[in-house]
Order: sequence, then C-alpha cells, then structure tokens
Amino acid sequence: MAETMRQTVASILKSIERYNPANLQTLERYVELQSRENTYDLEANLAVLKLYQFNPERFNPDITCQILLKALTNFPHTDFTLCKCLLLESVVENETISQIKYLADILEQCDFAQFWNRVHQMPELCNRISSFHDSIRKFVCHVVGITFQTIDKNNLANLLGGIDDVTLKHWVKKYGWKDEGNLIFIANQDENIKTKNITEKIEFDHLAPLMAIL
Amino acid sequence: MYSSDDYNEGGYESYGDYEPHTGDPQYDLEYDRSYYQMPDMVKKFLVYFRNMITEGVTFEILNLYENTFPKLTEQFFENTPWPSEKEVAPVVDNDHVFMILYKELYYRDIYARVPGGPKPEQRFLSFYNYCDLFNYILSAETPVPLELPDQWLWELIDEFVYQFQSFAQYRSRATKLSEAEIEALNTENKAWSVLVILNVLHSLVDKSNIKRQLEVYAAGGDPDSVAGEFGRHSLYKMLGYFSLVGLLRLHSLLGDYYQAIKVYAAGGDPDSVAGEFGRHSLYKMLGYFSLVGLLRLHSLLGDYYQAIKVLENIELHKKSQYSHVPACQISTSYYVGFAYMMMRRYADAIRTLSSALLYMQRTKQLFSSRSYQNDQINKQTEQMYHLLAICLVLHPQCVDESIQQVLREKNYHEKMFKMQYGDLGEFETCFTFACPKFLSPCPPPIEPGSNYGRDAVKHQTQVFMDEVRQQKMLPTIRSYLKLYTTLPLAKLAAFMSAARGGERDAVREHAALAIHLLCFKHKMKNVVWTKGPSGLDGKFQSGSELDFFIDNDMIHIADTKVAHRYGDFFIRKLLKFEELNRKLHHIKI
Repeated sequence: MAETMRQTVASILKSIERYNPANLQTLERYVELQSRENTYDLEANLAVLKLYQFNPERFNPDITCQILLKALTNFPHTDFTLCKCLLLESVVENETISQIKYLADILEQCDFAQFWNRVHQMPELCNRISSFHDSIRKFVCHVVGITFQTIDKNNLANLLGGIDDVTLKHWVKKYGWKDEGNLIFIANQDENIKTKNITEKIEFDHLAPLMAIL
Repeated sequence: MYSSDDYNEGGYESYGDYEPHTGDPQYDLEYDRSYYQMPDMVKKFLVYFRNMITEGVTFEILNLYENTFPKLTEQFFENTPWPSEKEVAPVVDNDHVFMILYKELYYRDIYARVPGGPKPEQRFLSFYNYCDLFNYILSAETPVPLELPDQWLWELIDEFVYQFQSFAQYRSRATKLSEAEIEALNTENKAWSVLVILNVLHSLVDKSNIKRQLEVYAAGGDPDSVAGEFGRHSLYKMLGYFSLVGLLRLHSLLGDYYQAIKVYAAGGDPDSVAGEFGRHSLYKMLGYFSLVGLLRLHSLLGDYYQAIKVLENIELHKKSQYSHVPACQISTSYYVGFAYMMMRRYADAIRTLSSALLYMQRTKQLFSSRSYQNDQINKQTEQMYHLLAICLVLHPQCVDESIQQVLREKNYHEKMFKMQYGDLGEFETCFTFACPKFLSPCPPPIEPGSNYGRDAVKHQTQVFMDEVRQQKMLPTIRSYLKLYTTLPLAKLAAFMSAARGGERDAVREHAALAIHLLCFKHKMKNVVWTKGPSGLDGKFQSGSELDFFIDNDMIHIADTKVAHRYGDFFIRKLLKFEELNRKLHHIKI
C-alpha cells in the first residue's frame, strides 16, 4: 500500500503536475499514510506546503500540523526549517502550529527536559504520529552519541524522557553503549575529536621559477 | 528623412497649438515622439542586426547586442525608449522573429532605464512577447533555425525571471496603485502568474533534455548521443541549462530551498556540488589561468620552449560549455550558497560562496569592460561577502587567505565582531541586505493595509533569526573553550554565570550549561556534501574549527590551529615586483 502510493506520488512530483492543485487530495492522503505507518517523504510533504502557498484557499491546517510533526521526527535533519520557510505568512497565527513551532524551537536548542514536559501536555496531538516519541529519542541518542564519552545513567534516562530501567537498557543495547554501573560508556571520542595543526606546505615546483628570477 | 530645416519648420508650426505638459515625463516623451523620426544610423543598425540574426552570425550578433545596442542607446535614446514596434516593423520587412527579439530588448531597456518602472500595459505586453518567443521556440516540430549568443540567452532567462519578480513586487504594493492600475491587474490576471513561469522553465528544461545531457557529460560520455533532435541544437541546450538556473532562483525566491538545491543537483552536476561552477569552471578556469600565468612566467624567463609547452594542455582540457557566461555562474553560486545557509549547511555554503568569490577575485578583468553587467555583479559580490560573513560567524572555519583579507579590510570585520557578540540586530541587517528579494506567489488580498511582498521578506528573515537565536549562546561557550584543553563542567558553568552577573544557583546553571553544550554539538554537526551527483546528499560532519566531548563531568577540547601562510603571498609579491622592475627598465626618458 505505502509502496504503490509512494510510486504514484513520485511520478506526480517528477513533472509540472506537482503544481497542479488537483493532485492535492492524493498528496494529503499520502501525508496521513505517513503519520499512520511511520514512513517519511520530505519531498512530497514540501510539495503539499507549496500547493498551499500557491492556493491559499485550499490550506488545510490539520495536514500542515502532521507535516510539521513528521519533520520533527526527522531531526537532526533541518526538514523543519525547510517546512517553516514554505508556510504562508498568514498561517503563523494558527494556535496548534505555533505550539509545534515552539516544540521545534526547544528541540533545536536541545532542551530535552522541557520538550518532554510539553509533549506530555499535548498527547492527542503527538499520538497521531505513530512512533513519535521513539523518533525523538533517536535524535536524543544522536546528540548524546556525538557529545559524550561517558554519561551519568540518570541523566541519560532523563534526556530520553524519563524512561524506566528496562527501556533504558533497550536503548543502550541498541546503540552498542556499555552499562558501567552509575555511568554509561558511549564511545571512545579521543579518536574522533582531537586537536589538528595545519601548517603550510610549499611545493618545490612553485618555487623553482622564482629561483630563476632571483 | 527630415533635414534639420524641415524639422524646425514643422516644429514651429505645431508649437502653435502647443499642449501643456502633462507633468508625467513618460507621457511627455510620447508626446515628443510624434515629431520624431528614426535616425539613419539606427535604421541601418536594425537592418544589419536583423540580417545577422537571419544568417546566424553569432559573434557579430554578440557584438551588436553587447556593444552597439548600448552605444546607440546612449547616443540617441538617452532620455527616451527605443522606437516602438510600429516604427520598427516596416524597416525590417515585418520580420516576425526579429520583431519578437527586438521587443525583448525594447522592454528590457524600459525596465532598466525608465524611472518609476514600466507602466502596467508595458509589463503585460512584455509578458506576451516572452510568451510569443517561448511558443515559437517550444512549439516547433523541429528545432527553430535561430542562433543567439550564449550571453544573450542567459540574459533572456535572467530577465524573464527578473520581470516576474518585478511584477510581483509591483502587485504587492496594491494599496499605492491607482484604480486604473488595479483594474488592469484584475483583467490581466493570467499574466506573470507563477505557474506560467514555472511551466516555461520546465518546458525548456524538458525540451532540451539538458538533465540527461549533463548526466552523460559528467559520466564522461558524449551528451549529443542522448540529446535528441532538439537538445543537440545549441539554442535549446543553452536555454535548457539557463532555465535550470532560472528555476533555482525562482525556488529560492519562494523560500523553497529544498527544491532549489534539488533543481540545481538535478542539473546532473557531476563531481561536486559546486558543480558546473566548481568542478567545471572554477578549477578549470583557475587551472587555465595558472597555465596562462606559467606561460607568461616562462616567457619572462625567456624559456619560450616551456612557454609553448604548457599551452599544449589547454587544448587537451575539455572546456566547460558554460564557463564563459560569468554572470550565470555568479548568480548560480549566490543562490546555491544562500540556500545552503538556510538549510544550516554552513560548510557547503562557505565552500560554494568562497570558491565563487575567489573566482571573481582572480578574473576581475573579465568584468571590467562590460559596464551594464557590472552593477549587478558588484551588488551580488557584496551580498555574497555578507552571506559568507554570516556563515563564518555561525560556523568558524578556515577560508582562503585572500578572501580572509577582504573580510578583514572592508567593513565586514566590524559586522562580524558585532555578530559574534550576539548583536541580533546586526544579523538581521546583514541578512536583509544579502537575501534575495523574496516573493509571495499569490496576488495579495485586495484589502487595504496589507503589505504583501514585505511580508515574504519578513517571514524568511524570521526563520533565519529563529535559527540565530537558537545559537545565541554558542559563541560565548566557544570563546571559553578556546582557552582550555580540558575544563570541568562546574567551572565553565561558573564562568558563564559570572559573565551574566546574576545570582548563583549552581544546580540550575549546571543544567543550563549541559543544554547549551548539547546544542553546540547538535548545531555544529551538519550535513556536508562529500560525493555523488546530488547537492542534497551528504554526511553529517563537524567541520567547525573547535570541537569537544564530555567525559562525565569533564569537557575535553580539540582546537584546530592554522599556521600563517606566507608562501603564496611572497610568491605573488615577488612576481609583481619583478614585473614592475621589468617595466621600469623599459621606460625611456
């Protein structure tokens, strides 16, 4: 189902048809499919926003919200920024959309504690996107993975949204991290992050002609 | 043709029933026009121009287009538009194609020179003229027998997009327009619609099969083999390629950066994102110029054998098909760089912008002769430096020494300093100066008080400023980290609060710092293009100069130290000195 849909949409997007508002219905159904089945297609979603931009009378706030929430699940990619650039200026006043924009803002700043706090206050919104929470946890793990060599266990559990021990074990195992009692060993960062010295090298060939002048 | 006496007599007569001036210079010009006869020189020019186009002598067309036309404008039409369609058509036997091309120049001239901009009907007529032109080119069953210089083709596409942009801005000022103008806008609501523009550009791309051609070219094949009947034809090929650039620009204007880069990438850009530009021309041009430099050097040394020898390779190098239209490259790099910046792909933006600026620095003399293109190029260069400055503040990294020097010397230094210290106003000023003139794709609601076009700029600025605000703490953290190789979290937290001067609350400070540090790592690790045909692809890399990791409570810092580069500087100065010395010897007093 998702696969055939994906192909239909891909063929629409290839040509000038992507600007045809008659295709909006198909594309909107595709967005809902993505929310349900936890698939993701940035290009199709941007095409929807584009069609809203060209045909403001067709604007659908509900679909727009789903697209924005889906973009959150694809952090650390900057999909959300791309979507934001295409939003109609007049749409900015929509209450739900402002809430989602706020979510994105604190997520971009890596204020995870506050993010989870907010998400728990709006369950009906976030639950529409299947595996929403786990997608965000993946992003948290990405940031933890590039920042830490070892991290306090409680701290990690909090960053991941206050998960219990069993779930934490699952994530630790998934990323190949090591449980060392109170600390979790992430990776040996010494190899990736080290001081570099760049010095100038002059090739002999560059100097040879000068020697002749002098 | 009137002799000057005839003219005076007729003039005198008509001064009798002299009508008062309308006060509108444009109408007055038209009033004057009725007493006007086309000078012989202009007539000859038109006939010759038409003949050259019919015969397809491109180098002569280029000369007429680039040199003679502006010269005649200066001489005969300094304060008036060129002769109208009605006057010109009989001179050139009503040549349909020539008339379309002439009108293209005619309207472009009006757009460029008439103060206050063109009148609504002129905008529409220009639009319909473009429609005629593209219909002629696109609806033909076999390629049309028309050959135009690449420079013209590029400016044709560029102007087409520009006039659309200008129309959208004009429309957005609806509140300031007279009723007659609004009436005209409502009746002609199909003209200059964004869909038509997109359609034309896409059709040109499809007709020329340019994407496939570029792909095959990149793979080292012969593009002609896949070009098809139309695509083999240089007119279609070039129009197709320039349309891709036009699309890139249009998408950027509408804030669709993803499509912008995608269109650009779909250009089958082979070896690098910097693309046609980076791979095919920048390196090629630089390589080319350094070969010429070597030629000169060898000649200076009296080694003519070597001098000639280095030239061999120039013949072997496949010359880029597009590198000889600098305005096209500059425009491309500007929009690609801008889109990358908005996508927070600073490393890619910096690479694209700095290689373009470097190219322009080293080929300055190419631009000096054509004055009418200079203003635009200079403006765009300055915008690119601003973009580069913003990117370098957000993502400090090494750039070429000569670029660095410009950034130090001009007033960019102060701007960058302010931005580093978190001056949001400065960020906004730089951004507004450097950004393209964004467009709203739809006509504004006909209600007073809405300033539609401005809203589009405001919206994009808002998105950019959100990003900057999210990163606001990073420069401060960076400045502390730079001083250490290891630093306990608690100590840094103390520094940060001391700087802020607030009351101390160790737990909260610690938590806030932890968030900022995560944010630092997140924002500095971005997608960077590595290889492959699409400029959208890439891997997450941290290309920033300063990096760190946290081992429980201790921050370990890694910095990049770059030694000063002297070699290049001295080599250039030595050569300059040597040349000066040589010239001095030649001076005879």
